[in-house]
Amino acid sequence: MIGVLRFLAQLALYVPLMVILGYFSSAPRFAHLPQDRALMRVSFSHAGERLRECHQRTPEELAKLPPNMRSQLDCPRERSPLKVEVELDGRLLLSLDVPPSGLHHDGAATVYRRIELPTGRHEIAVRMRDRPHGDFNHRATTTLDLPPGGSVLIDFDNARGGFRFRS
Amino acid sequence: MLKLVHRAGRWAFLRVESFFNLAFGDRLNPLYYLGPISYFLFWIVLGSGLYLYIFFDTGVEEAYASVEQLTHGQWYFGGILRSLHRYASDGMVLTMLLHLARHFVFDRYRAFRWFSWVSGVVLLWLIYSAGINGYMLPWDRLAQFVVIATAEWFDWIPVFGGTLVRNFIFPENVNDRLFSLLSFIHIGIPLAALALLMVHTQRVPQARTSPPWPIAATLSAALVVLSLLKPALSQAPADLASAVTVIDFDWFYLPVYALLYRWSPGEVWALVGGATALFLLAPWLPPKRRRVSKEGFHLLVRPDNHIISVREGESILDAGLREGIAFPFECRNGGCGKCKATLTYGEIDPGNYQKDALSEAERAAGKLLLCCATALSDIEVEYEPTEPLGGRPIRTYNARVTRMNRLAPDVMQVFLALGPGEQLDYYAGQYINVLLPNGEHRSFSFATAPHVQGEIELQIRLVPGGKFTPWVFDHMQVGDTIRFEAPLGSFFLREDSDKPIIFVAGSTGFAPVKSMVEHALHIGLKRNMLLYWGVRRPQDLYLGELPRQWEREHANFKFIPVMSDPAPEDHWTGRIGLVHEAILADFPDLAGHQIYACGSVDMVAAAHPAFLARGLAQEDCFSDTFLLPAHKPGGAAEIMKPGGGR
Ligand code: HEM
Ligand code: FES
Repeated sequence: MIGVLRFLAQLALYVPLMVILGYFSSAPRFAHLPQDRALMRVSFSHAGERLRECHQRTPEELAKLPPNMRSQLDCPRERSPLKVEVELDGRLLLSLDVPPSGLHHDGAATVYRRIELPTGRHEIAVRMRDRPHGDFNHRATTTLDLPPGGSVLIDFDNARGGFRFRS
Repeated sequence: MLKLVHRAGRWAFLRVESFFNLAFGDRLNPLYYLGPISYFLFWIVLGSGLYLYIFFDTGVEEAYASVEQLTHGQWYFGGILRSLHRYASDGMVLTMLLHLARHFVFDRYRAFRWFSWVSGVVLLWLIYSAGINGYMLPWDRLAQFVVIATAEWFDWIPVFGGTLVRNFIFPENVNDRLFSLLSFIHIGIPLAALALLMVHTQRVPQARTSPPWPIAATLSAALVVLSLLKPALSQAPADLASAVTVIDFDWFYLPVYALLYRWSPGEVWALVGGATALFLLAPWLPPKRRRVSKEGFHLLVRPDNHIISVREGESILDAGLREGIAFPFECRNGGCGKCKATLTYGEIDPGNYQKDALSEAERAAGKLLLCCATALSDIEVEYEPTEPLGGRPIRTYNARVTRMNRLAPDVMQVFLALGPGEQLDYYAGQYINVLLPNGEHRSFSFATAPHVQGEIELQIRLVPGGKFTPWVFDHMQVGDTIRFEAPLGSFFLREDSDKPIIFVAGSTGFAPVKSMVEHALHIGLKRNMLLYWGVRRPQDLYLGELPRQWEREHANFKFIPVMSDPAPEDHWTGRIGLVHEAILADFPDLAGHQIYACGSVDMVAAAHPAFLARGLAQEDCFSDTFLLPAHKPGGAAEIMKPGGGR
């Protein structure tokens, strides 16, 4: 009798434990992106132009340098920060100044942004300036129909002609 | 504040545990085995993981399909193992967190326990990393979420700065190599965790690393049932072209990942980093326990007659197990009462335990639970050994006195013979308790070596005014019957060592030494043996010719008699003084020796600390007569001296 009671009592304790394990291992569901939203990601890595141009050293300048460093051309390594803007349906959504990486600011600048969007038809414009002066020198626009859970990825690859929209 | 949390936590644990005791009984309560259960679940995870790995394809295209095939094509085995792998991992998180919480609220994480605690915190990280990493492998929507979330989280760190996530959102970057790396990590982290687990329990004396089998069996069965009723399944396959929206979520491993999209990555880092730092430092943070003694205390264990040290906050059980005392125990958590013992001297903190395990009345009568109590002063504890030494049963014998010789005015040599067909196995150095009609007992060492069967020799010294020895000298006759209990004590010659031996005998402390030396010579022990026998005057060396004969016949035996009080007419030219001082004079350094001290309480009490101060290791110092320095009763002389000397 005691044995049976014990068995039942143990069952009564193991069952909830297993229910807890079974339930919380997969529920409640997590809404990473609400059902009625779409996602835009801006992700690229790009090395801007040099901040200053190379210049030919004069003989006087050369004489001041140690002999092992006397190269004709003086090229400052520092790169220009990137200025990036994204417009959604004509409204400015994102405006970033991205500094170059590296101790000497001579590396590529990396952008990553994750932005939730309403679903539906959108006009997206992206532009970038990767030099110290002047107007935006890279631009692209597209019109997209984003379904719920749809995704658009804005990438930049100079070798492949600049901005790309991938969805 | 934290004290309040501790107190409330203890109250809750004890309540729930007592409730569980109703169902499981106090010996098989899973709550007493949270660490061992976590360990056991870890083995299930490793075992099932190994099988899954055989069928897992580490390619982007193949991963999802291979897991699906295993889950559905092989549901009866591979599928169950997959579910076990998941549920055992989840269960491990649960039991691990409870285990952590219990050690925390019972304040068992400070002082010397910092080692287990800190390695535990690292384990916590490893277990979480392994689990989260595991969810990347089936390459379903959850995997997609987990890899991207991980990258987004780590990209907050300036060195990554947004580059990491690019490996996971561009389909051309998610290649087979990346997959091989992820699954390689999924083997590496658990193996590291396993190695750390061994370290984690390494300093816990006789740590249980597996639960009692009934718990293991029921738990496994329950997990299998759960696996059959609710198999672990993949979600839709990963698709980098579309965003992850609403997914099934493992709340044991991933809550931090949910937070990542409520807070910023930086805030989540602050939380996780701050919590880790706080946990790592917890053993040194307030509230500090009232510091009773930095060095800890001495613990005298009876009937072993062993003195060991107890550290601050250490349970008496742990201290004993650490030094090889065979304390009985089961749950180690104040539930079963198996570790009940008697406090015969000193002050303790009884700790927290179930009232069923130790009642108020028992507590008032000086009982304690070894697994819960901690020392507040030097203490003396007596327990009932469940296992006799070497499995040699203790029983009562009736023996006949066959011969008696008066070796000296105050020393009687008595030979006893057991009944026909009776045999008594013992270790050289053990003793018997002669049972007196009034229920008291007197202890005497065997003076014969165990291989000498047939006759048991005792050397009994007269204690004037005593209840037994005057009777031996004045009234006992050959043919009388003596009742005694044997074999007793854990004082015996340790044969598992190569160290040279020093025997110290005071007066009739020679009896156990005789037993041990004769045994050593009989088995051809090659270690060097040196006997210092201390008596008052030369005529007190009641069997003095015997050690001289051993010395002549055995190159590895030397005998040095020491007189404490020779008279001029003795013309003594040998050593003079207290016997232990003679040893101290001869050995500036005692490290690397074993000392067996047999003699009066006073002699051992003086010699023991002096030997330790000369570098003798605590575990190399043996005696049949130990008393705490602080606690020397005047009267009980006749009871305390199994060696026969006083
Ligand atoms: C998979 C994870 C873990 C396993 C399998 C595990 C296992 C064990 C085992 C078997 C013991 C010895 C017996 C016992 O007290 O239960 C132990 C002791 C201990 N563990 Fe863990 N543990 C884990 C994680 C942790 C964590 C996360 C912490 C805390 C941060 C922790 C803190 C401790 C402490 C303080 C002790 C006691 C040491 C002592 O009493 O001297 N453990 N653990
Ligand atoms: S071992 Fe169970 S109460 Fe101490």
